[in-house]
Amino acid sequence: MAKFPSKGWFDAVRKVFNGDEAYQGAGGGQCNCVSGMKIGSKIFILTFEGLECSEAQEGKDTDLEDVDFYLDMSLDDWRAMVKNIAENGGATLDYTLNTLDLDREEGLSTSRHGDQYREDLFFRYNQTFQFFFDASARIKTTY
Amino acid sequence: MAKARAKTKAKTKAKTASDSPVAGAAQVPEPGYKWMNRSNQWDTRVKPGKHGLRLGDLNVGIYGEIPEQWQDQTRNPRGAIARKGVPPLGYAIRDKADVWADSSADLYEEAIQRKWAPATDVPWETVKPLAEPLERAICQVLTELCQYANCDIETISQWQHQMAYGYHEVKQYLATATFDAARMHEAFRKRALCNGGGLGLEGPGEVNRMILESRGGWSEAVTYLLLMRGTFTMTLLRYLEKHAQNAAEQSIYASALQAKARHMTYGLEHLHYSIAHDEERKMVLATLLFIGERIWAREMTDHVLREALCIVFAGGLERAPNAGYAEFRQMQRDFMRDYMSSCDWLGVQRDPAMMPEPMVEFVEAT
Repeated sequence: MAKFPSKGWFDAVRKVFNGDEAYQGAGGGQCNCVSGMKIGSKIFILTFEGLECSEAQEGKDTDLEDVDFYLDMSLDDWRAMVKNIAENGGATLDYTLNTLDLDREEGLSTSRHGDQYREDLFFRYNQTFQFFFDASARIKTTY
Repeated sequence: MAKARAKTKAKTKAKTASDSPVAGAAQVPEPGYKWMNRSNQWDTRVKPGKHGLRLGDLNVGIYGEIPEQWQDQTRNPRGAIARKGVPPLGYAIRDKADVWADSSADLYEEAIQRKWAPATDVPWETVKPLAEPLERAICQVLTELCQYANCDIETISQWQHQMAYGYHEVKQYLATATFDAARMHEAFRKRALCNGGGLGLEGPGEVNRMILESRGGWSEAVTYLLLMRGTFTMTLLRYLEKHAQNAAEQSIYASALQAKARHMTYGLEHLHYSIAHDEERKMVLATLLFIGERIWAREMTDHVLREALCIVFAGGLERAPNAGYAEFRQMQRDFMRDYMSSCDWLGVQRDPAMMPEPMVEFVEAT
């Protein structure tokens, strides 16, 4: 059981994600980037290396300046996404990262450096990130 | 008769060879091995890093010297010793500024590592019978997406063989881009033919023709193929994923989206590089866009794709004229926003006052 959001929750998801080869095929695969998660006022930094999410750390706002891109939603919206994934075994169409990005005026994915190449990693690795969050359906989450 | 004679000769020859192995060996010329001392840079030891041994890692010493212009007109690999007397192959694209993007080697690695096989990776069993108008609309959209993919393949192929081998990273990446397009065509066609539907009406094809017939150089082709069509296709795939009817469609559109994102990264980075090395190219690009936007606008008014998309976005015929059309308009606004934002990033601002009405309509609403 892990509380969302917390480093423990991300570590639990990492364990599931890293341990299942199914997440490495079908559009997944090698992924090398550092992404931020802005969950309300909390910040988490995820490092993806090769076929794994190698590290999850709690960070501070200024850390978002260094990441390739970060996903920014209110705590309520993040919870709604995680709950949807838990209830359905994976995100339904209204809660995929793609839809959440499309449906927001400012988008879900953003950066502070404005480097197009690094921002594009959100789309180039999109299925890996979706697989990662979908893996959270396999852990018990508390809020 | 001649056949029998040949048979006898062959028999005699075989007998001689098997009876006298020493005589056979004597026919081998004395090796000189003089070629063994020929290398521009020997003792190169590139080691794999934490991500393996990647194409870009090999750019060490002379092997990493990528000149602004590639003089060699043969297939001589970069860093090898040129053989004298090889007839020129007439590569038309020999300037780095005409092909290069720094990310090419990384995009190549990414493309070959992040693979998917439509035959087995798409959960085809999730495709269930749909109401006929919806199935027809999906098949119509897929028909036009197949044309887009064909256009990608043909455009890249017809330029690729004109690119000098000195820029092999670009040539290798573009080979994967062609394969990506082939795979998209495969997946779109499979979805169209697996659920009681079939292919629909061929699209107008004016933009395809504009892309395929651009003759001013690879950068011009990239402008139409990626900056314009690529931005639109990417937006379209994102909306199709959002409105997928089943996990199979979602998987197809999501995987295609990743490939298209790689194409866009190459395309925009190449145009950026090209402009950075020749400021005048900004004006050329602006002129190309001025011309291209008029052809684009004509195709925008085609009602077939619009109506089909409205049905797909609404999940059926009933809500297509209102909810479906509203979503269609949002998609066009997103496309125009991304298109104009990319043009801004390239330093080629688009002035809505100079754009054709069907495009401006969605700019003003942004």
